Amino acid sequence: MAAGGTGSAKSFNFKVVLLGEGAVGKTSVVLRYVENKFNEKHISTLQASFLTKKLNIGGKRVNLAIWDTAGQERFHALGPIYYRDSNGAILVYDITDEDSFQKVKNWVKELRKMLGNDIALCIAGNKIDLEKERHVPVADAESYAASVGAKHFHTTAKLNKGIEEMFLDLSKRMIERQSEDTHKSTTTSRSNRTKTVTIVDDEPEQPSGGGCCGSS
Amino acid sequence: MTSKKKKGFHVDESELLCKNGCGYYGNPGWQGFCSKCYREVYQKAKDAQLESDSLRKQRLAALQGPAVTANGETTLKFNKFEEKRKQHQAPKAKTVKTLFKKGSASPNKEVPHPWTGKRQPSIESEKAASDFIEFLNTLRKPAAQDITKQCKALIDRLQDQYELSVEEQSDIVQDFYQNMGERLQTHSAFKGASAEQYETMMEHMEKYMITRLYKILFCPPTCDDEQKDLAIQNRIRRLHWISAEMLDADIDSTKPSVIDYIEKAQTDIIEMNSGRSPIDKLLCIVRCSKNIFQVLNISRGQPASADDFLPVLIYIVLKANPPQLHSNIQYITRFANPNKLNQGEVGYYFTNLCCAVTFIENLDAQSLSMSQEEYDSYMSGEVIPAGTKFGEPICEGLRLMYANLATLDELRIRQDRLRENALSLQQEIKDFRDSVVKTVQDVLTTKPFIIQQPRMPANLDEENAAESSLLPPPLKPEVVAK
Repeated sequence: MAAGGTGSAKSFNFKVVLLGEGAVGKTSVVLRYVENKFNEKHISTLQASFLTKKLNIGGKRVNLAIWDTAGQERFHALGPIYYRDSNGAILVYDITDEDSFQKVKNWVKELRKMLGNDIALCIAGNKIDLEKERHVPVADAESYAASVGAKHFHTTAKLNKGIEEMFLDLSKRMIERQSEDTHKSTTTSRSNRTKTVTIVDDEPEQPSGGGCCGSS
Repeated sequence: MTSKKKKGFHVDESELLCKNGCGYYGNPGWQGFCSKCYREVYQKAKDAQLESDSLRKQRLAALQGPAVTANGETTLKFNKFEEKRKQHQAPKAKTVKTLFKKGSASPNKEVPHPWTGKRQPSIESEKAASDFIEFLNTLRKPAAQDITKQCKALIDRLQDQYELSVEEQSDIVQDFYQNMGERLQTHSAFKGASAEQYETMMEHMEKYMITRLYKILFCPPTCDDEQKDLAIQNRIRRLHWISAEMLDADIDSTKPSVIDYIEKAQTDIIEMNSGRSPIDKLLCIVRCSKNIFQVLNISRGQPASADDFLPVLIYIVLKANPPQLHSNIQYITRFANPNKLNQGEVGYYFTNLCCAVTFIENLDAQSLSMSQEEYDSYMSGEVIPAGTKFGEPICEGLRLMYANLATLDELRIRQDRLRENALSLQQEIKDFRDSVVKTVQDVLTTKPFIIQQPRMPANLDEENAAESSLLPPPLKPEVVAK
């Protein structure tokens, strides 16, 4: 998709998905990046679920489309629909909440399973302004990120630290990937195109759901 | 709620008869006329239509083949068209039979297949064609010719090969988009156009071609889209008891403006079915999403993230139960330009709709965070949720009451303000009068007004009348000497 003809026009269109549990500050991170605002009163946009940002990296024009995803547990199974064909993913967790880090691990596993190494990953430990209440050790997070081929960043939307760097680094890595294998990605996009995403729930929920809708 | 409307199927005898009142039975295929009356009534309209069609053909032909003298080319085209029309009219009476035959596997070579291009274009494709020609007129000639040629080739190809499976059709269309995208970049006819122009060209081509092919491509009989449409429709009907609260959708439905936007969003998502091209359908989804953001903005007063957006979208889909939902989604996935679908806002909202539908399909007790027993009792209809508790817009009357109360409140406030203003105006008038009176009094006391008698002009002679007699007479001139 993005590879189709975009490489030759010297401008890159990237889709970046934003994954993270509810209340880890996904929205604040992206609003800080795109609008450079933290306080909700000053934000002009109606929505923070789809935002775009134009960048210029070494003379290359980059258009980022940032897709927010619903992070509630009940929507977990919908992940593959959101992140299909994405070039990059930012996984956000709250450093004061160990559970949210566990969720990030789940998503990484899924992303690697579905998209392989085609996707550039960033893990963001958000809310470092609350360092005192930290529950996720820095060493753990960083070593985990390194083990799955992702980059780890310490961010805070409130104090605006680490966010700009994270998006810039992600963009650079996406450009590298795309220029590396333009021919490869065109072939994959051709085959991806007709593929429809099917969601396979490995929990035994589906038969029960099907049973009761058939019975009544 | 929706099930109430579809209580039963009842048709009056009078509805079956010909609208012309000739006593024969009518047919919806002939707009409710019997075959004879239909032919009489519509012959005139059809003639007029043919006239305009031939005009349009002439214009298209002029673009396609400038080498051939315009006159010869067009008459040839027109003759062909007349022929086609005759062919088309002859089997018209058999249409009903052919429709029934369509399902059977043995294709009768003599009866034209109902899905081929040999049919009158619908109003929508007429409009798409005229829009397209208008657009082509804005382009330079070689570019317009090339586009017409390519589009025509694709339309003909798909119309001729009606036995293709929908996946193959999709592949053909997608290949076309890819090739055309490359062609626009490299072909000499399109040199010097900006990226936006390429985009509008692609958009117009997509709109025109897919609208023309709508009948063939939308929910084709070769796939099981129709069953899936029905399945999802029934599924949504079964889930009618789900409230916004259960989905954690942040809707403040006590506010009338919120309900307005919810209704608008529902209308938009239902309208999706009436759009012909994927772009039209996608625009309906975008409008629906924008209305949802309005709902969230009024309810919460801060920018909505996907965490807030998706539950409301699911709620809207559940309440609206859009017709042919599955078919529409499949149609867009198969035939929309992938560059548009995978990137950009449009793609994002479409993806969310897909998520909502998937969620509804797989919904269970867990996804509503309730116990299995509770879920089962709702599903079997044993328990009816107390929907009104959270201001659920269940009852139209209640809703109207809320709206009226709000209006009355506003009216009262305005009335109070009016009264206040009137009183203050009255006070001001009084003050002004008093101040004027006071000023006048003040002036009168400090500077009393005294009227002086006017001075009478003195009559010198009159005053001294008595004395004048004593005076010597005035001297008279005398001649002293001659």
